[in-house]
Amino acid sequence: MRLFIYVLMTICSLAAVAADPGVILRNVDYTGRRPMKDIGVNRTVFDSLSLRDNVAMSMADVLAYNSSVYVKEHGRASLSTVAFRGTSPSHTQVTWNGMRINSPMLGMTDFSTIPAYFVDNASLLHGTSSVQSAGGGLGGLISLSTAPFAHDGIAAQYIQGIGSFNTFDEFARVTYGNDHWAVSTRVLYSSSDNDFKYRNHDRKENIYDDDHNIIGQYYPEERNRSGAFKDLHVMQELYYDSRRGDRIGLSAWYNSDNRELPLLTVEYGGEMGFENRQRDRVFRSVMSWDHVRSGWKTSLKAGYMNSWTAYDYRREVAEGQMVSMTRSRSRVQTLFGEVSADWIPARRWFVTATLTGHQQLVRSMDRSIAMGSGAAAVIGYDCGRMELSGAVSVKWQPTDRIGLSVVCREELAGYDWSPVIPALFADARICRWGALTAKASVSRNYRAPSLNDMYFMPGGNPSLNHERGMTYDIGLYGAWHRDGVWAFSADMSWFDSYIDDWIQWLPTTKGFYSPQNVKRVHAYGIEFKANGQWAVSSDIKLYMQGSYSWTPSVNAGRHMSAADVSIGKQLPYVPRHSASVTGRITWRRWALEYKWLHYSRRYTMSSNDVAVSGSLVPYFMNNIAIERSFGWPFADLSLKGTIRNLFDEEYLSVLSRPMPGINIQLLVSVTPKF
Amino acid sequence: MMRLLPVALMTLVTLSSCMKWEDGAVTDVAASGNGVFIVCEGNFQYGNATLSYYDPESGHCGNELFYHANGMKLGDVGQSMTIRDGVGWIVVNSSHVIFAVDATTVRERGRVTGLSSPRYIHFVNDRKAYVSQLWDNRIAIIDPESYSVIGHIVCPDMSVESGSTEQMVQCGEKVYVCCWSYQNRIMRIDTASDRVDGVLTVGCQPREIAVDARGKLWVLTDGGYPGSPAGYEAPALYRIDTEEFRVERMFRMEIGNDVSGLCMAENGNMLYWIDGGIWRMPIDSDRLPDAPVIPTRDTKYFGLTVSPYDGDIYVADAIDYQQPGVIYRYTAEGDLTGSFTVGVNPTAFCWK
Repeated sequence: MRLFIYVLMTICSLAAVAADPGVILRNVDYTGRRPMKDIGVNRTVFDSLSLRDNVAMSMADVLAYNSSVYVKEHGRASLSTVAFRGTSPSHTQVTWNGMRINSPMLGMTDFSTIPAYFVDNASLLHGTSSVQSAGGGLGGLISLSTAPFAHDGIAAQYIQGIGSFNTFDEFARVTYGNDHWAVSTRVLYSSSDNDFKYRNHDRKENIYDDDHNIIGQYYPEERNRSGAFKDLHVMQELYYDSRRGDRIGLSAWYNSDNRELPLLTVEYGGEMGFENRQRDRVFRSVMSWDHVRSGWKTSLKAGYMNSWTAYDYRREVAEGQMVSMTRSRSRVQTLFGEVSADWIPARRWFVTATLTGHQQLVRSMDRSIAMGSGAAAVIGYDCGRMELSGAVSVKWQPTDRIGLSVVCREELAGYDWSPVIPALFADARICRWGALTAKASVSRNYRAPSLNDMYFMPGGNPSLNHERGMTYDIGLYGAWHRDGVWAFSADMSWFDSYIDDWIQWLPTTKGFYSPQNVKRVHAYGIEFKANGQWAVSSDIKLYMQGSYSWTPSVNAGRHMSAADVSIGKQLPYVPRHSASVTGRITWRRWALEYKWLHYSRRYTMSSNDVAVSGSLVPYFMNNIAIERSFGWPFADLSLKGTIRNLFDEEYLSVLSRPMPGINIQLLVSVTPKF
Repeated sequence: MMRLLPVALMTLVTLSSCMKWEDGAVTDVAASGNGVFIVCEGNFQYGNATLSYYDPESGHCGNELFYHANGMKLGDVGQSMTIRDGVGWIVVNSSHVIFAVDATTVRERGRVTGLSSPRYIHFVNDRKAYVSQLWDNRIAIIDPESYSVIGHIVCPDMSVESGSTEQMVQCGEKVYVCCWSYQNRIMRIDTASDRVDGVLTVGCQPREIAVDARGKLWVLTDGGYPGSPAGYEAPALYRIDTEEFRVERMFRMEIGNDVSGLCMAENGNMLYWIDGGIWRMPIDSDRLPDAPVIPTRDTKYFGLTVSPYDGDIYVADAIDYQQPGVIYRYTAEGDLTGSFTVGVNPTAFCWK
């Protein structure tokens, strides 16, 4: 029992330190035993400063500026996907309070729909480490969760943000807590015209004479058309802690997004009236019960998700006459259940078992076709799939310095069982200096095709194979500190993975795309992250964190034809180098924050040709913020000004999708004291 | 603390802006000789369509000609090209535009906008052209001189959402149009009145159409796909008598085959198409050939044309659809004589 409590306390203390960078590391006992749950695991934990930096930030922003994953974004409130280690966005599994929230239709997650202020804990499990939580994360797993608000009595916070392009963000949170209960309600409403100006370098406007002869051309300065959005998020949480080892939690989250989809830079139809809009209404809820006893713990979780998405593309065919050209509707319902148990059979042993189930029910109607008979036929699919995932792990620390762990996972998707997914983890403390620890892991992994991959009309391919991955990880971790003065930690890992039967949607001669198992991909590289804090004086504190990854991800498959030159080349839209740095200096009630992000060249062709549209040039993004807080007996107040894209870079994250130049935001945060 | 300031500033400068935007410089392009333009459609929503030109005499292929000649991109999903009186009309489907370019310098002469989703352009005369469209139940009528849409032909029994008109050919005063996506009809348009005056039902999804030396129409259907509400059947080649506007003969192919690339050669006496390999058939044949003239090369051919000058066969290989495609050049006997690289997804050919 003491060991179990010790393990829990160690986890909690590390989490607490990670969650508040304003605290200088002081009392963490690095010479003690490491948490057994994390033996050999490569995990990145996001601190509260990252998650609570700006109410306008989505998780896509948090991930871009605070980790080494690649975030491919189409602009604010537009599709933002995340890819680990040179894999595709569908190879990143995402869980919210344990429930997988990847779209069962697409396989990926749009992180622009997840506001950072609605996430209390976020962490990345890189590569092999994802097997600890779920299968199918060939690149990794992102774990998001909510947590009880640690406050007695009533507390409230209101934040308002006003920014460029008529952007408004309103956030409010009210909490109540006592010894047993914690209740929280939070609401976020964001809206924007999002009509930033940009120079369109992809097209020219013509100047004509009276006879329709072109007498001049120029690159027009345009506004981002059809980029407006209105997003509403409401979250209700309720927690009960018996203080005798039982905890119950309920989190329910509803969001309603109404987003226009921007035009390409090469669009010439914008002069006609049109509507290009996506609407989402998503309800997610998870209820959990933790039952902790001496030497063991059981947990039950149940969840439900209901997601409705509408896509409408309408054009004006005559003055004032708009007609629908695409009217797509989809509804996804997910029933989720999980039972898990942790058991400490002996002092140096730790055993866990988990069984997770997701019942997916999808109804997708992509088009309505008028038949010759006059009847209308709907093109789409209506199907369900049961997805089960069970895992058993055994962790053993033969000595204080060495930890070993084995995980065996088995998954079912529909009627297809995946082969056993094994993962082995090991770590060893090399020396006391910095508690320098080496870690290694290896795992096999399988990802089932998404429901669109299999059943989308037209093009779905029910005969697709599972994607298969094999990953190796080796890393080194260390943390150094001087009590009350400075602390520094660094984590470096090398990974090597092969993914076979990579699924890719390819054109057909019938005018639509269809997925095929086409590639073998070899992704390897280095990930490095570091975090440092320094109390320069009693008034001045410095905080800095950075990450860098080098991720060659090359096509290692067979030639698709004699002329194929893509073998050995970097995959499209995977940067070889990505890096981010966040620095923060505080002086009394002032704080200055600087964020920097870099992605190297991203090819758009599998051959890596640097043709006209063959690549996106590297870019550096710089954001700066200054904040002043005030404290009064009745309330705390914070004023913050942020400048994004400080150097007014003209850059692209995705081909033909313009991104905003320099823009500002002002934030006011009020926290009344009751 | 002050000692750190220069370091911090230096770091800031180093890590800040260094991105340079590369605007396309306009350069002279010469698409000379009796060559062929290749429209490379690129990838949907990438905006990476390009235009190439191959001169068979010199063996030289110029790529990204539209960009070099005009300093701007061609657009999203290049669909087709037609040359009339020294002007090339390039239809860029998802950019909703048709560019008119000089057929030698490739410099823009004008552009037609205000289109729903243009696919092909067919010139009725110097003052009138038809533009077929997807997601629209109308064929646009444009004035080539003013580059403007001057009217529409409404297609009967076709909704906007499932609207689809595709390739067009003309026999006399009549223009014949394939109604393709989720359709099964050939429409006949009277060019004098700009009205549909006849409809003929054929197989599932007629996409490509050609007219032979005898004035007969040849239509290739793709057969649809499994589960399609419009049906799924074996693709077929139809021969249509234009006098009576009826199906004379139907040649059924294997169900599930991907067929495309119908084109006419030898002055309208020989048909070519893609069905795995490259097939050809005399117009008076009463059955499909037993073997292709060019077998498949372990890839899916994406486009096909036959030189009107020497009968050489040009076959487009899109490879993995994400890299510059390759055009293979064969003699009329099916012997490979060379190849050249073009843009991503070469889909349409247009001879000068």
